[in-house]
Amino acid sequence: MAKQYDVLFRLLLLGDSGVGKTCLLCRFTDNEFHPSHISTIGVDFKMKTLEIDGIKVRIQIWDTAGQERYQTITKQYYRRAQGIFLVYDITSERSFQHIMKWASDVDEYAPDNIQRILIGNKSDEEEKRQVATGQGNKLAKDYGMDFFETSASTNYNITESFTRLAEQVLAANKKDLDLLRASVTDELNLAALEEEEGITDGAAASQKGCWC
Amino acid sequence: MLPSHPPSPNYLESASMMSGTLESLSGLGEDGSSIGSDSEINGLAVRRTDKYGFLGGTQYSEGSDKDIRVDVARQRELKWLDMFNNWDKWVSRRFQKVKLRCRKGIPSSLRAKAWQLLSNSKELLDSNPGKFEELEREQGDPKWLDIIEKDLHRQFPFHEMFAARGGHGQQDLYRVLKAYTVYRPEEGYCQAQAPVAAVLLMHMPAEHAFWCLVQICETYLPGYYSAGLEAIQLDGEIFFSLLRRVCPMAYRHLKKFKIDPILYMTEWFMCVFSRTLPWSCVLRVWDMFFCEGVKIVFRVGLVLLKQMLGSVDKLREVQGMYETMERLRNIPPESVREDLLVQEDDRKKKRSKEDKKKEKEEEKRKEKEKKKDKADKESQKKEKERAEKEKKKEKGGKKKDRGGGEAEEKNGATAPRDSA
Repeated sequence: MAKQYDVLFRLLLLGDSGVGKTCLLCRFTDNEFHPSHISTIGVDFKMKTLEIDGIKVRIQIWDTAGQERYQTITKQYYRRAQGIFLVYDITSERSFQHIMKWASDVDEYAPDNIQRILIGNKSDEEEKRQVATGQGNKLAKDYGMDFFETSASTNYNITESFTRLAEQVLAANKKDLDLLRASVTDELNLAALEEEEGITDGAAASQKGCWC
Repeated sequence: MLPSHPPSPNYLESASMMSGTLESLSGLGEDGSSIGSDSEINGLAVRRTDKYGFLGGTQYSEGSDKDIRVDVARQRELKWLDMFNNWDKWVSRRFQKVKLRCRKGIPSSLRAKAWQLLSNSKELLDSNPGKFEELEREQGDPKWLDIIEKDLHRQFPFHEMFAARGGHGQQDLYRVLKAYTVYRPEEGYCQAQAPVAAVLLMHMPAEHAFWCLVQICETYLPGYYSAGLEAIQLDGEIFFSLLRRVCPMAYRHLKKFKIDPILYMTEWFMCVFSRTLPWSCVLRVWDMFFCEGVKIVFRVGLVLLKQMLGSVDKLREVQGMYETMERLRNIPPESVREDLLVQEDDRKKKRSKEDKKKEKEEEKRKEKEKKKDKADKESQKKEKERAEKEKKKEKGGKKKDRGGGEAEEKNGATAPRDSA
């Protein structure tokens, strides 16, 4: 009986409009990069399964519109997440300044044990760089986050950063994870644990029969 | 045809930073490199677009669209030309006929003018000579311009007008969107306005598109693009409760997987389906939308959900939140043929009971909105009043506002039989 996954959880991509959230996601889930794409209006998500320490981790990654006024909509999804990417664009000082705003929103609306990671995207555009790597490092340190410079365009540090955040979420939920190890036949639905009942990935749920 | 306008220095700078004019066309395959999407830039006259100007992408039409017969098309054009000549009379006395003709689809050669007449934006244009240029001359708020600039190359990147970075289409898009932020500084810019403005620009010059956008933002979909996005969230809830009546199966499915309306209808409604449907359908929907208003948006949304999730077989294919979302975000073009869309629409219209319910819902919505308005701060009220006054001034003693088509809605109970 091949299990689809052992753990399911949700990650959220946040950051200013145009920093490359959708491109990061496309690169990670489909290994594609489209120079011509459309702006994100509202909320979208994609799925991908990773294997970390022998555990099959199914992650649901939510992509959000970056413009401030969409936050009334996107904020509703903060509380459902276990991990958050704070993304800026290394060619945009402004998008870096705004990370502080994004981080404080996360503090306000996301669950307490949420895991965060800082991403400086578009690292391939060195000639247009406005934010030094050191600045990113320092900010990440101040906030106690890990930090990656990435490029969706050249596929630099994409899997690394997504895997790192997934590992952090796993570690933060170690207690539940140990339970999982004790009873290998069960799956663990972190996403569902956050709410009263499981919003499971239905296909997987139906394949495995009763989980609720 | 377009009046040439010097782009503001701010934009020029950013346009020059945009590298590779045809960069956005990569991914088109072998044809990509040879397509002249902006003749001014690369001097090539070769165009391999579909009849709507798409070079590729999901909204490209394969050319299998059956065209209506030439004589029928000519007849329709003549009818529309006749209506144009006596427009006010047609709208006030024979609106049913106008509506029916919009449902059949406005002839493409006359579409731009029809949209402008239906929306009253023609009147705004005529009564505000020089206003657009004036707005363009203003500096604009960098806060908005920054976001607008980032969005220019992210609207219909596969359409010949908008494919080239810094090309004509993107320049005009900048002009229109910037002008709106100057015109309504308290509203500013909302990202969903860009695709709407882009659709308008595919049909008319920037100044005309601007006034048409004004009408959509203020008369057709008031509040949809405002800070807070309350109107769209409210309409999402209303839409979902309508779905419960129209298609309980789809409703239960979405509820079961906890797929909030906001997850799928935000883009549908805010962009008036311009990113969702095959292009021939987009145009038909916009024809009806300009005539009948927001209710068309609701109806099309309901038809889509019914199409996607309205039978046991269809539900079997989307057993899961992810699968369902994927389906709703990538609607297979073959499942939304335009005749089907409009026919479905009509059949619903015939069911008068349902129609009454819908009207009730709409009334409820309006009431809710009124309540919401009351609860709003004084300042906002004043702002609205000011805007109203300004509008009246601009309209210069115009008889009545028919933009949203709300007044006519009540008369719409008689079912038009669309033979298109």
